[in-house]
Amino acid sequence: MDALISYLVNVISLGGTYALLALGLAVVFSVLGLINFAHGELMTLTGYVLLAGILTGQPFWLAAIVAVIAGGISAALMEFAAFRPVRNASGATLLMTSFAVSMLLQVLFQNGISPRGQAVPVPTWLTTSLSIGNSQISKVQIMSITVGVLSLLALKFFFDRSYWGWAIRAAADDFEIVGLMGVKASRLITFAFLLSGLLAGVAGVLWVIQRGSVDPLMGFKPVLAAFIVAVIGGLGSLTGAVAGGFILSAIEIALQTWLPPNVMPYRDAVTYTLVVIILSIFPNGIFGKKTQEKV
Amino acid sequence: MSNSLLSTTDLSISYGAVKAVRGSNLEVKEGEVVALLGPNGAGKSSTLRAIVGLIKSQGSVNFAGHDITGLPTERIVSLGLSLVPEGRRLFPNLTVSENLMLGAPRKAKSDDLFDDLLDRLPILRERLQQVSGTLSGGEQQQVAIARALMSRPKLLLIDEPSLGLAPTIVDAVYQLLSDLRKTGLAMIIVEQEVMRVLKFADRAYAMSTGEIALEGSAAELRTSDEVKRVYLGGAE
Repeated sequence: MDALISYLVNVISLGGTYALLALGLAVVFSVLGLINFAHGELMTLTGYVLLAGILTGQPFWLAAIVAVIAGGISAALMEFAAFRPVRNASGATLLMTSFAVSMLLQVLFQNGISPRGQAVPVPTWLTTSLSIGNSQISKVQIMSITVGVLSLLALKFFFDRSYWGWAIRAAADDFEIVGLMGVKASRLITFAFLLSGLLAGVAGVLWVIQRGSVDPLMGFKPVLAAFIVAVIGGLGSLTGAVAGGFILSAIEIALQTWLPPNVMPYRDAVTYTLVVIILSIFPNGIFGKKTQEKV
Repeated sequence: MSNSLLSTTDLSISYGAVKAVRGSNLEVKEGEVVALLGPNGAGKSSTLRAIVGLIKSQGSVNFAGHDITGLPTERIVSLGLSLVPEGRRLFPNLTVSENLMLGAPRKAKSDDLFDDLLDRLPILRERLQQVSGTLSGGEQQQVAIARALMSRPKLLLIDEPSLGLAPTIVDAVYQLLSDLRKTGLAMIIVEQEVMRVLKFADRAYAMSTGEIALEGSAAELRTSDEVKRVYLGGAE
C-alpha cells in the first residue's frame, strides 16, 4: 500500500512535468510542424533565472514567477530571431535551426556562466517531508504535483474557452484553414511560442527544485523524454501530450522501483523497448490522427 | 447595372513549372451568383484559393474597391470575402460551436448572427457541443458554410458544395444557398453538378486547362452545345 502511494506520487509528479514539456512541444508543432529541440534550453535558462533571483535575495515565489515569465519571453524572442526568417523553409531547415539555437544557448551557458552545475539553494520549508500513512512525501513533490495539476487544469480551461485556445487547437487540426478564419498567422505563431516558453518555464522550475542544481546541458534529457512523450501521445495532439506524459512516467518509475538490481543498468533499454511496442500497436501515437493524403 | 464586387485581371497561378491558371479575368457583381465550371484540374479550386490569398498568384484581384492582390488571407477575410473550402475542412477535434465561434472575428459581437444561423440550420443546434469530426457529411457541409458566414462576408466562395453528398442532402444545401442569396450575398460556386448549378446561378464561367473557355448567362450555358458536349456527353 505504502509502496503504491509512493509510486503514484512519483508518477504524478514526474508525469506532470513531462506533460507540461510535451504540451510545449505540441503547441509549437501545431503551428509550425516543428519539433523545437531548443525547448530544453528554455528550461535551462529558466533554471539560471531562478538561481539568479534566489542569489540576489528575492523571495522564492517571486524568483520562480520571474523565471517562468523569462522562459515565455525568451521563447517569443527565439521565434522572432531564429524561426521567423526561415518560416517558409522546409521542415528539415526548421529542425536544423532548432538544433543550432539549442547548441548556441548551451555554449553561451557554458562560457558565460560555467560549464559546471550550480547548486540552487531551495528554501528550507521545501526540503522537509510530510508523512501520509507510513510513506514520506517530500514537499518538493507535493509542490510539483500541485503546480503540475493546476497548470494542466488552467491550460484545459484556456484551450476550451478562449479564442486563442480554439485557434491553437484548430491549428493542430488544419493550420492553413485557421488563416481563413481571419486569424493572423504570425501572431498565432508568436503566441504559440510564448505559451510553449511559459510551459517550459514551469517545467524548468519544477525540474530544478527537484534536483537542486542547474547546469548548461540540463535541458537535453527532459526534452528528449518530452519528444518521446509527444510521439507516444500522437504528434500534434494536445490530449495525447498529457496522456503520453503520464504513460512514460508510469513506465520509468515502475522500472526504477521494481526492476531487479542486476537488470537495473538496462532500465532505459527496457523503457524504450516498451515505447517501441506501444508505437507498433499505435503507429500514429495513441491520440494521433491518421495521416491524410492531401491533393 | 449593379456595381462590380470582385474582379480578377490576368490572374495566373503556377505550381513550379506547371501553370494551373493562365490569365483569367473573372467578375462578380454585387448580389450575383456566379458558377465556375470545368473538369478536374481546370484550375477552379486554385482560382478560389488565389482570390483569398491562400496561394500566390500573378495578376491582380480587386474586391469592393480594394486592391487585394498579395494581401494576407486574414486581411482579405476581414474585408468581406469568405471561402468554404473543398472537402469542407472543418476542425475535426473542435466542437461545432467552437468551429463557428472561430469563424467570427475575435472581438466581434456575434451572438445575434450565431443565433440567426442556428435558426436557419436547426439540426446544428442539437449538435453544438459535438465534436465536428463525428458529424455526417451533410451536417459538416452546413457547419462549413455557417462557419464561413460568421465573418459576415459580402462574397462567399464555395468549392464543391455537393461533393460526396447524397442528392437529398444536396437539395438541402442548395436550399440554404438560396435563402442566403435572398439576403443579397454574392457567391462564386465551383461545382461538378453542372446542370444543378446552372439552374441556380445568374452567370457562369467554364474553365478548361487553366483558361476561361466560355462565359455567359447561366441560361445560355445551359443550352450551349459545348457545355453539353464537355460536361454531359462524356459523363453519361
